[in-house]
Amino acid sequence: MTSDAAARSAALSELGLDRQNKAALGRLLASGNIGQATEEPGGRMKAEVRIPLDELVWDPATLILPHGGDVDIVLYNDDSNTHCALLPSNGEGRWIWLPIHSRGEVSINLDGPGCYWYSSPIGNDEGRGLLGAIVVLGEVPPDARLDRPEQPRPD
Amino acid sequence: MPASTVRSSPDRIELMGVAVAKPTTDYVKAPPAIKLSEASDIVGSAPRVAEHLTYERILAASTEPQNWLTYYGTYNGQRYSALEQITTENVRGLRPAWVFQCGSYGLHAGSSTYAFEAAPLIVGGVMYLSGWDGWVWALDAKTGQCLWQYNHAIPFDVSLCCGNVNRGVAVAKGKVFVVTLNAHVVALDAATGEMVWDVTNGDVRAAESATVAPLVVKNLVIVGSSGGEFGVRGHLDAFDIDTGKRVWRTYTIPKPGEPGSQTWPSYSPAWARGGGNTWITGTYDPELNLLYWGTGNPAPDFDGEIRQGDNLYTDSVIAVDVDSGQIRWHYQFTPHDLWDYDSNMEMILFEQDGRKLLAHFDKNGYFFVLDPTNGALVRVTPFADRITWGEISPTGAVTPLVYPDKEGEEVHFWPGPAGGKEWCHAAYSPRTNMFYVPTQDVGACVTRRRREFQESIPYWGASVTVDSADAVGQVKAFHAATGEEAWRWNWHLPISASVLATAGDLVFCGTPSGEFNAFDARTGKLLWQFQTGSGHHSSPTTYRIDGQQYIAVPVGWGGWIEGYAPGMAGGPHGDALFAFALPG
Repeated sequence: MTSDAAARSAALSELGLDRQNKAALGRLLASGNIGQATEEPGGRMKAEVRIPLDELVWDPATLILPHGGDVDIVLYNDDSNTHCALLPSNGEGRWIWLPIHSRGEVSINLDGPGCYWYSSPIGNDEGRGLLGAIVVLGEVPPDARLDRPEQPRPD
Repeated sequence: MPASTVRSSPDRIELMGVAVAKPTTDYVKAPPAIKLSEASDIVGSAPRVAEHLTYERILAASTEPQNWLTYYGTYNGQRYSALEQITTENVRGLRPAWVFQCGSYGLHAGSSTYAFEAAPLIVGGVMYLSGWDGWVWALDAKTGQCLWQYNHAIPFDVSLCCGNVNRGVAVAKGKVFVVTLNAHVVALDAATGEMVWDVTNGDVRAAESATVAPLVVKNLVIVGSSGGEFGVRGHLDAFDIDTGKRVWRTYTIPKPGEPGSQTWPSYSPAWARGGGNTWITGTYDPELNLLYWGTGNPAPDFDGEIRQGDNLYTDSVIAVDVDSGQIRWHYQFTPHDLWDYDSNMEMILFEQDGRKLLAHFDKNGYFFVLDPTNGALVRVTPFADRITWGEISPTGAVTPLVYPDKEGEEVHFWPGPAGGKEWCHAAYSPRTNMFYVPTQDVGACVTRRRREFQESIPYWGASVTVDSADAVGQVKAFHAATGEEAWRWNWHLPISASVLATAGDLVFCGTPSGEFNAFDARTGKLLWQFQTGSGHHSSPTTYRIDGQQYIAVPVGWGGWIEGYAPGMAGGPHGDALFAFALPG
């Protein structure tokens, strides 16, 4: 059993679970890279996400936002197959077609802390690796917090 | 050509033994991103039927039975419609007029247990409907055509006790109001579905969420909170419907020094984690200017030793001044609850011999009738078949008998934590003077297991296993004048769907196994049944368009199945809304 992230990553590689059709059928979900959005003056955020050649994985597979709000994402399909992207956003999810070797832009709004998913909803891209997470950090606004003394959270 | 003989060059690469042009670094421009609904048959706008929906019209909702203008149909919570086209004589001809489906996208909270729990509203031929995971739709109520859709992005890791659900919307002054699982209150343009305002009303980091159908009264939209199984502090809030500005907040657990705080330990922070959430819509008496809102269980649910006292205002009805949010009176149905007996369920306002009364069927298995002017108990009688947790005397004295007391020692009691009746609503028909009640006869084993409080972690204080066998249900009718049972319809599974009563002397109610039923309101005789393919855990409503009466029922089995019907945990899922009508 692995005991830390580095060992986990090494084990996935050694077992062949970080690639398509190596040890199993598809790439193990949530085994991709982690990246962070950058913040512009005023709080708007920017990020880039790629689909590398033959990996069927978002890169980063987990995109971290420092807080809720608007984020502009540039998507690159570096793969030799066509994919698409469905991203969460308040109002409705945003969907974009990503032809081979294409670049697309999408803006989304997420309003609070938590984990959101995004994917390529064609074929079984989702099951084979193109299911990623957008993680919004931070707290809710002070006026939305309960009127009570500070409470313990899990260690 | 053998691969070894391929000669690479700056503009060519070897691929499968063949030299091909190296991909250019100039990317093809992808088509513009679109909203998902732009790749669908959704119209994109609805008629502006909600612009003139005022408080005065909602107040007089019973005079326009062609619509269903507010959560219970009317402020009194009776879930009764004066429509009478569908009768005991012709109901056997009822058939689906149309079906609306959405389906489930990607990964979402409670993806295996989401449920379709809403009560559809109808305004001028448009149906406003909420679903799981932040979905809101406007439908053509005659054809089922989706006019617009809205989806609030919900984190899939929100803390939920009881599934990914939402119980409905409110509509007024051209806006649709809905709460979200990440504890926002959102106002949408009723004609376009575009967001008008969005307020964060709870702390998801503390496991607050929201599932309640909002209630519009005057120029306020009133919403309750969820999260009692995680040790939050319950509250009820009112917002200005034009701006989203909060007008008042009332906590259901008093702080030290406030009225009711003496019912909590003075030596611990138990009050701060006390629960008492307000996750079901209240009723309203415009003459008394009072809201009647039920409150949920105390936290931790089953470990009472660390919250000694009655634990006000948990498991209560609070009568709240709608203008100020002040609690005028309360009645606690289960003081110092040790069984998870929330009292959120409907507070039906009715009259007998000219006297105002309030009826409430509690999880604890008892049917309470109160004086809504002051909260005085008028009558209490059992309505559940098996009640072993304790006894309530005719004067309201509560005697606990079986409860989790000693650490690690299992006890079994009826009703289990889902109650003799779950949140799903009873109905009252002024024509028959009867209440119609969906009931569950399900017990549970509970073993006290103390745990330390941590924000966002379930805070039950027990191990719970609800009976999956020897669990049945009924639709029961009770005489409003006496509380005596008039009839019952037995089913082999717990009934956990709301009842609808109509002036056609019909009572409609669904089952966990998918049957949607129509009964003779006077006798209980089953007159019509339709298998919808998935279990019912929602609130059917009725309306009329172009002279045709429809019965609308969301169908989609899920939610807290392990609590109210664990024997149906493997039942088929679904997410369809059926609209039934007579031929022609």
